[in-house]
Amino acid sequence: MDIFANLAHGFAVAFSPINLLMCLIGALVGTLVGVLPGIGTIATVAMLLPITFGLPPVGALIMLAGIYYGAQYGGSTTSILVNIPGEATSVVTALDGHQMAKQGRAGPALAIAAIGSFFAGCVATVLIAVLGAPLTKLALAFGPAEYFSLMVLGLIFAVVLAKGSVLKAIAMIVFGLLLSMVGSDIETGASRMAFNIPELADGLGFATVAMGVFGFAEIIRNLDHGAELNRDLVQQKITGLMPTRKDLIDSAPAIGRGTVLGSILGILPGGGAVIASFAAYTLEKKIAKNPSRFGRGAIEGVAAPESANNAAAQTSFIPLLTLGIPPNAVMALMVGAMTIHGIVPGPQVMQKQPDLVWGMIASMWIGNLMLIIINLPLVGIWVRLLRVPYRLMFPSIVIFCAIGIYSVNNAPVDVILAGVFGLVGYWLIKHDFEPAPLLLGMVLGPLMEENLRRALLISRGDWSVFVSRPLSAVLLAIAAGLLVLAVLPSLRAKRDEVFTESEN
Amino acid sequence: MTSIRSLAGACLAALASLCAVAAPASAQNYPTRNVTMIVPFAAGGPTDVISRIVTAHMAQTLGQSIIIENVVGAGGTTGSTRAARAASDGYTLITGHMGTHAASVPLYPKLAYHPEKDFEPVALLAGTPILILARKDFPPKDLKEFIAYVKANADKVNAAHAGIGSVSHASCELLNAILQVKPVGVPFNGTGPAMNALVAGQVDYMCDQIVNAVPQINAGTIKAYAIATPERNPSLPDVPTTAEAGLPAFQAQAWNAIFAPKGTSPAIIATLNAAAVKALDDPAVRKRLLELGSVIPAASDRTPEALATLVKNEIAKWAPVLKPAS
Amino acid sequence: MSDTPSEAPVRSILPKWIRGPQDFIGGLAMMAVALFALWASSDLQGMHGFSFGAGTAPRMFAVLLFLLGAGVAVMGILQDGPHLSHYSWRGPLFVSASIVFFALAIRPLGLVVSAFASFLIAAMGSHETKWMEAVIVGACLTAGCAILFPYILGLPMPMFPRFLIQ
Repeated sequence: MDIFANLAHGFAVAFSPINLLMCLIGALVGTLVGVLPGIGTIATVAMLLPITFGLPPVGALIMLAGIYYGAQYGGSTTSILVNIPGEATSVVTALDGHQMAKQGRAGPALAIAAIGSFFAGCVATVLIAVLGAPLTKLALAFGPAEYFSLMVLGLIFAVVLAKGSVLKAIAMIVFGLLLSMVGSDIETGASRMAFNIPELADGLGFATVAMGVFGFAEIIRNLDHGAELNRDLVQQKITGLMPTRKDLIDSAPAIGRGTVLGSILGILPGGGAVIASFAAYTLEKKIAKNPSRFGRGAIEGVAAPESANNAAAQTSFIPLLTLGIPPNAVMALMVGAMTIHGIVPGPQVMQKQPDLVWGMIASMWIGNLMLIIINLPLVGIWVRLLRVPYRLMFPSIVIFCAIGIYSVNNAPVDVILAGVFGLVGYWLIKHDFEPAPLLLGMVLGPLMEENLRRALLISRGDWSVFVSRPLSAVLLAIAAGLLVLAVLPSLRAKRDEVFTESEN
Repeated sequence: MTSIRSLAGACLAALASLCAVAAPASAQNYPTRNVTMIVPFAAGGPTDVISRIVTAHMAQTLGQSIIIENVVGAGGTTGSTRAARAASDGYTLITGHMGTHAASVPLYPKLAYHPEKDFEPVALLAGTPILILARKDFPPKDLKEFIAYVKANADKVNAAHAGIGSVSHASCELLNAILQVKPVGVPFNGTGPAMNALVAGQVDYMCDQIVNAVPQINAGTIKAYAIATPERNPSLPDVPTTAEAGLPAFQAQAWNAIFAPKGTSPAIIATLNAAAVKALDDPAVRKRLLELGSVIPAASDRTPEALATLVKNEIAKWAPVLKPAS
Repeated sequence: MSDTPSEAPVRSILPKWIRGPQDFIGGLAMMAVALFALWASSDLQGMHGFSFGAGTAPRMFAVLLFLLGAGVAVMGILQDGPHLSHYSWRGPLFVSASIVFFALAIRPLGLVVSAFASFLIAAMGSHETKWMEAVIVGACLTAGCAILFPYILGLPMPMFPRFLIQ
């Protein structure tokens, strides 16, 4: 096999001092970007793109790639510590991760997120090297009909991850779908529900809504009378920093399953990584012996989605490296970085640019190693941050979130919108509506609508395409099955809910 | 661990100094601080790459950084609206193109700006030729067969485009108007997903800019029928021009040009134009632009006045084609 | 999140036959959101031929949300559920004020002034705040942000008030 020759060549490229340095910078900046709420990878990569002008192309791309997957490591930190997901892919991590932090187990949660990400990153890197080319077929097999069915499946995941009433969870998803409709219509360009506000012409940003309903709402809620007691307890009962033996045994299978799901879904351009983390969480909750632990601090609920999102972040490079087609906005930036250097990626990029492709693949493994070395010692620092009195912590979080949201589009209106969504989120908490399904609805809504419309345009309005295409039919069948599984027990368990509520 | 932490600190410091390399060299007059160039499209696309290549050189001439800000949305009109409303002090510019500063006029009846009334033309940068592309197993073999096939099967074929107001959308509408067909237009979010669908054979044909298409054509994952410029392009020597292939009426080029908000002083416009012209004469810049398959305007076409004429003519060209669409 | 701290139920102004006031009001609010969305998307084109119009999906989801909201409200009538929780005014008011101030101030006043002032405004939201401490921490945080965002991450944002630069 020349895989080994190629990999050896890749490692030779990646181990050059300049490329190692680039990889380290990428990993560090990525971690920072992931940790800071609101600051997204797209904005950062775009800002750093001009710097790559002066760098050799391989080093530049190694750095940009490092930022991209490094952000997946950092993204879980704020989810766990302060219940603010920095990226769409770490929304589910907040569900159990923050509960663990409340129980004094922020350390193990952060550590398992890093360990899971590392394992997933290593496996996915090998996968790219060995099976990259054949897996490309999967990306091409997914047409609009398949994507629509996948999005339907994704929305069913959102129902399953709800811990309270299914009816209210579905209402929140639909609310999220409705919010995602704001902006421009893809087919006609018509402005929808944007009220002539230019900042809304492009729709509501994910960061804006997420910072609002998770970040600001959580802060406002914590300032309520009677919430102090709850908070102070959290700060005092911090236990060990590293996961116990039992934690590791519990998480190991979850990490494995998350890695597999993430690797497969990551290959699909557009939305694959987000669905991967939700899918991994749903799978763990469905096969767990005691699903009621989920949402109340189950370590598998952190391990699985974090492994999945990092695996997906790695395998999402496959369409770029084998087809030359960027599957998401960050990859499009990397294509930009390549074209600026005179390399236009295409299907022959692997043959024509072996240094670049194999160097990048090798650097991903090195980058993951660097990331775990950076992130494990950081756990101690993050956990110490929790000891900062809340009266100082909450204004700091407000400022960080505000700067983060502003930086996404340099738009003050976005900051105000996030504030509005903070109040909406506070109201939702007060009425026991969960924000996670809302965010998932918001992320998947446009993908679902656009692909539905594309599929119907291509089929000339024939709805049977969704069941006549085998892949699409399978996805819809899984969705239907999951929905039945989700609705049945929750109808039965209605009465138990009241008991679990009064425990907290 | 401390060694790792200090190393980390050193790297961040190095990065910070990299960012600060182009710190102010304090000129007496314009520009005295960083200039923001709004690119109304996603980073990595043709307009973005051309802007970055040219502005990188312009920044050296001007002695200030030019920061590219990608303001994406609504076919480039979101970014253009922001630029139109920006202060006319020369510190906010925009790379407009065929779509935002010509085709948008008929496309969006409620457009918040007018390319002629709200902008000062600065300089034409580079044009990207447009190709007629199809999935690799699409039956027609050449452009003549393509025309016959599309006319005969107008209700069956699907044409992909990268979103309303995109170059691929406008140029496909022009092609369809010339051929007098109305195929179903399948919208995608950008050229990447549209190209993916074409490579996968989910749609039949599309009109797109040369940059992203060349490696796909060379690899045989898609095929090209013709290039809509008067001359063949060096990066695709085997692809005939539309005139050679029997459709001379279809001429389209995705031109990119710098505009400033209305009211920017003529002195600033002249400074910027001179910097842009200098960039276009630089051998390294030219080489990079040509590698992308771009067409660099002749010296006579680079003046602000020539750009003003171009915008006027282009609006007149697209108005009848795109009016019925919306 | 369902772990809302249990608080003394507010004296209900709602009639007795509503057994779960929290869900009842929640459902009504969702219905109101749905009606608003229906109104906001009423000017958009509907189905034309076999293809969706711009307004098809928004109206579809709005109707769906209306029905789900109605469902939640009905559950609130039929099932015993929690009472309305107590809303405090201090946290929401000052945190919102801080966010709005930041949004309005970042462009004209720059990062340093707006971040520091917003920190102090937000700090007013808690009765535990000690002012000396808040001013010191706020200043340190502002200094940290002023280095972190524009320099290390290279994000373009104004640092100081516009009138001081010119």
